[in-house]
Amino acid sequence: MITEKIQADVLIIGGGTAGMMAAIRAAELGVKVVVVEKANTLRSGAGGMGNDHFLCYIPDYHGPDIEPVLEEFLRRSIISEIAHKDILRQFFLRSYETVKLYESYGIPMRYNGKWEFGGHTIPGGINLWLRYQGRDQKKVLTEKALELGVIIQNRVMVFELLGDADGVAGALGVDTRADKVIEFQAKSVVLSTGLCMRLYQPITPGWIGNTDLPFNLSGDGRAMAYRLGAELTNLEWPYRHSGIAYFQRNGRGSWLGVLRDYQGKPIGPFIDKPSLQYGDSAMTAHEILDKHLKTGRGPIYIDHRGMSDKELEYQAFWLTHEQQIATLNHLREEGIDLSKHQIGFMSYGIRFKGGVSINTEAETSVRGLYAAGDEFTISIGPAATYGRIAGENAAKYAKAIPAPDIKRYRAKIEEIKSLIEGIRGRQWGPGWLEANVSIQQTMNDFAGLIRSESGLDAGLSYLKRVKEKVRKGIMARNQWELIRCLEVINLLDQGELVFITAKTRKETRYKHIRSDYPMAHPNMEKFITVKKINGNPVLDWVEPRN
Amino acid sequence: MPPVIDYKKCNACGICVDMCAQDVFFGSKDGEKPVVSYPEVCWHCNACVTDCPEKAISLRIPLTQLVIYK
Repeated sequence: MITEKIQADVLIIGGGTAGMMAAIRAAELGVKVVVVEKANTLRSGAGGMGNDHFLCYIPDYHGPDIEPVLEEFLRRSIISEIAHKDILRQFFLRSYETVKLYESYGIPMRYNGKWEFGGHTIPGGINLWLRYQGRDQKKVLTEKALELGVIIQNRVMVFELLGDADGVAGALGVDTRADKVIEFQAKSVVLSTGLCMRLYQPITPGWIGNTDLPFNLSGDGRAMAYRLGAELTNLEWPYRHSGIAYFQRNGRGSWLGVLRDYQGKPIGPFIDKPSLQYGDSAMTAHEILDKHLKTGRGPIYIDHRGMSDKELEYQAFWLTHEQQIATLNHLREEGIDLSKHQIGFMSYGIRFKGGVSINTEAETSVRGLYAAGDEFTISIGPAATYGRIAGENAAKYAKAIPAPDIKRYRAKIEEIKSLIEGIRGRQWGPGWLEANVSIQQTMNDFAGLIRSESGLDAGLSYLKRVKEKVRKGIMARNQWELIRCLEVINLLDQGELVFITAKTRKETRYKHIRSDYPMAHPNMEKFITVKKINGNPVLDWVEPRN
Repeated sequence: MPPVIDYKKCNACGICVDMCAQDVFFGSKDGEKPVVSYPEVCWHCNACVTDCPEKAISLRIPLTQLVIYK
């Protein structure tokens, strides 16, 4: 195994939208920035093949007062039930700056010269999603970062942060294609590794790659932050996205038809004919989508009939910016014509919400460690905006402190190297897929949509057995499989935290349903945080910040 | 399984190997036509198809993802 050493002022882990925006801002402030990316920043992350709707507040469009916009978002409540309001307000306040920056970089943010808002809106409500042409946004952001002197290390997975709960000092990365580890020394670190897509079963349990966001998103940042001693928040809430059946894919806000049952009745009260401006907000009602399918009233279809050819072209245009080119090609190849046919629409597999705790400055609970993007806030607008905030503050912090000494963490580095050598050296044992599927079945069965003390206890104990076997015996035949194995180790840490926090919330609230505690408890209108102290998870209840 | 490479059109430029976020083309060698080693984790993002200068790649959507319609 080769060991390489790289020094940075600001180390950015994950080169998606948030990571690249952080890199650009930090580099503008004149520090040495290194981005470490598991894939390639040109096409990686949840926005790798584009986005077409950008959550934002534009004063020229929405008016001078931000509060109605914030209230509308909370009312629309895609993610609001579990967000600190100060985080959202800070995002909306700085989102216009982000939109203007995107435009200055060359990402088309206007349509026919104007701000074009649409989708994800209840009729009568305020449109919050700006339609933009984001298909090549990652190429643009990468180019901008390189111009500013950012160093990009593609095909390296960071597996462990170096430092302790008092401060971060760097990280240990693993090359995804060669037998090599990289020791990064850094004054500050931005975590921007995105969501965790592989903890629960996808809609097709036998086809692990059918995920609604990229398969390689395994929540590495959450697992690493926890192991370092940083605080995490809100892990107990399950969440399901929805979209067309069975081509699991994010980007439902780009589909503008009406959701109908088999008999043709709209399932939601929002629209009864396709709407370019609003879309059908019924698509976020997961229980209803699910119930229809499971009680024999399904499937539910999305119906675009009645849209003119020009309107269908308009929809297709935006879909090609929202990573749906393959979906559109598939419909065409299958002879599916949206002017005649209705296509199935369904709820997808479970994810969990929450993530690494941050404040409005993107600081985590560990000094020098910042987090941005889907690491905590969800969606492209917040990712870009908090990326910039994180990059700015990480650079300022780096300027103020001397370079840390990572020799102090030699034992940790050796421990990880020996873990890797163990995984690569074994001739037999469970592989990554076997372990991943085992984790997924445990999560679905015991920390799924309906939970109880007995199930959570059984599941947690089962998961710990799997963890023990994985730590001792998982094997990889090559470097690609090694990376998947390291992801599996990260999944196990996250799964355990979901169990522990779900056990603590002894009530039913929002999507956290406890069969043994069917009522909401007024005293639990709070968030649960967890951090590792002396090797053990320590939980706390915190008041949502306003 | 996806992606499907038309080796007659492929010029071995390696762009698809660079772009693929899931590293479906793991094990491909510089200057040689790519191999599809892990098709089962293809996410059908279409980056390899979109960015291929020779239009040599198409995706075969697996049966598990066939869209329902009426």
